[in-house]
Amino acid sequence: MSLLKYPDTMNRKQLFEEFASGRGIGKIKLFSPILMHFAARHIDRSYAAFASDYRVLVEANIRAMGDFGMDMVSLISDPYRETAAFGARIEFPEEAVPRCIDKVIKSTDDIHSLKVPDVYKNERTLDRIKGAEEYSRILKGEVPVIGWIEGPLAEACDLAGVSEMLMMLMMDPDSSGLLLDKCTEMAKKFAAAQVEAGCDIIGMGDAVCSQVDPDTYSNFVMGRQREIISFIHGLGARVKLHICGDISHLLPLIKETGADIIDLDWQVSPGKATEILGHDTILCGNINPVLIQDKPPDEVFLLTEKLINENSDRKLIVSAGCEITVDTPAENLKAMARAAKSL
Amino acid sequence: MEHNEILEKIAYCIEFGKIDRNSPFPPNMKGQDGAGEYTRQALEKGIKARDVLNHGLMQGMDRVGRKFRDNKIFVPQVLMSAKAMNSSMEHLMPYFTSGEIRSRGKFIIGTVMGDLHDIGKNLVSMILKGNGWEVIDLGIDVGSDKFLEALEEHPGSVVGLSALLTTTMANMKETVEKIKGNNRDTCVAIGGAPVTQEFCEKIGADIYSPDPQGLVDHLDQRFSTG
Repeated sequence: MSLLKYPDTMNRKQLFEEFASGRGIGKIKLFSPILMHFAARHIDRSYAAFASDYRVLVEANIRAMGDFGMDMVSLISDPYRETAAFGARIEFPEEAVPRCIDKVIKSTDDIHSLKVPDVYKNERTLDRIKGAEEYSRILKGEVPVIGWIEGPLAEACDLAGVSEMLMMLMMDPDSSGLLLDKCTEMAKKFAAAQVEAGCDIIGMGDAVCSQVDPDTYSNFVMGRQREIISFIHGLGARVKLHICGDISHLLPLIKETGADIIDLDWQVSPGKATEILGHDTILCGNINPVLIQDKPPDEVFLLTEKLINENSDRKLIVSAGCEITVDTPAENLKAMARAAKSL
Repeated sequence: MEHNEILEKIAYCIEFGKIDRNSPFPPNMKGQDGAGEYTRQALEKGIKARDVLNHGLMQGMDRVGRKFRDNKIFVPQVLMSAKAMNSSMEHLMPYFTSGEIRSRGKFIIGTVMGDLHDIGKNLVSMILKGNGWEVIDLGIDVGSDKFLEALEEHPGSVVGLSALLTTTMANMKETVEKIKGNNRDTCVAIGGAPVTQEFCEKIGADIYSPDPQGLVDHLDQRFSTG
């Protein structure tokens, strides 16, 4: 737990609420890096086990929370939970990201016949829901739990292929819209199940959005993300939007989605993001994960300290720009945590 | 239509991703001829295939590469431009086969072992092709041995390694070492979201660029015949 002049009696959830309200600016710093493969290895389990068994994922995250002083836990594992529920076959290499081995959408007809699945009836989506329940059971609601869904464009790309989907946006707006609508519906259903199971925050990964222009984002994605976010707000949870890469060109539009927490990759300046998003939006980031992996712990400490000092007047959750890599030394993550706590 | 005018039409269609008459994109050019039709017309009018390549296709893709580098267009628009370029290229293939036009060189490309993300690799491939390079695309998740086999088949080629993930970026080092161990004169270019100039120097690669056009510029400098 990372706090200054705040009572030790506060649990992590209360601390987060205080932070989110803005009352903790300059006093509370939260530390919540994205851990997947790193967390699995930290407990000597394979990535395959982490992605396919909620018990491993939960154990890995809770252990990491304790060992690295993290303020939240997450259900993130890989992009293919919903894709599997839509019918794709997924492989689980022992020590690599799960692989989607076939495309569900190969033609316009496939889009029309695509059914939004029941998230409780597919092994992979159910596994994540069970993970949320397991967190609730163990943590008793005292730690913010971040559920996870794919954003509409990311899911459409998972189903159809990235190049194919991005070209479809240009060539066939109607079919693209239909597929994105189905992905939006899926995102809402999956989010609802995770909130029901105890998640306080839903992370929405729409990684590919940084690769599209503002008009395309505005015409096809922004409204659907806003619809999902508004729906989740209606369920009483917050939303963290994660888009990999440089999103500087999209920030004015992202503001319109109503996301509570925006992940910033290392290419995006938190100061400039605040100018556009305002002080109410919580930022999460944004040290380059390559530096966290490669630099010695004292340099990682200084990088984190610098980030905190430069953002002392805004709501910033200390994290890397993206996932902490599996080869990051544990001492480097501890150095980040120390910097977050010492200030 | 004058020769220069038709070549500019080809470049314009590629720049704006107009594939052919049937393509609905871009909406403001619906029903108009595209890169495919103009290329066919250019050749029928007797314009040399080499000039169509140099002053039509390459001109168009050069503009695309620069606009992409400057964030004036993004991946969907580049993909459409590449598709338009392919439509032109189909008409030029017989001239490559006959030797009437020659590529600027061969470029072997693939994502490194463990990396399944091909969008960056594909963008680089498209822009290189549009700039006159013959691209040998080994696909995704390519091990060092496969790069060496390709080099044996296409000696003197430049090799391009792509990685989107920090985790797979580490595999570039081994691949570069094997390629350089086999022939230290082989030029190796690397790219991808986590890659930096510092990393490029650290692993002994020759070229790093954050964007495809930068790679084209590097290759132009390195392999310019003056």
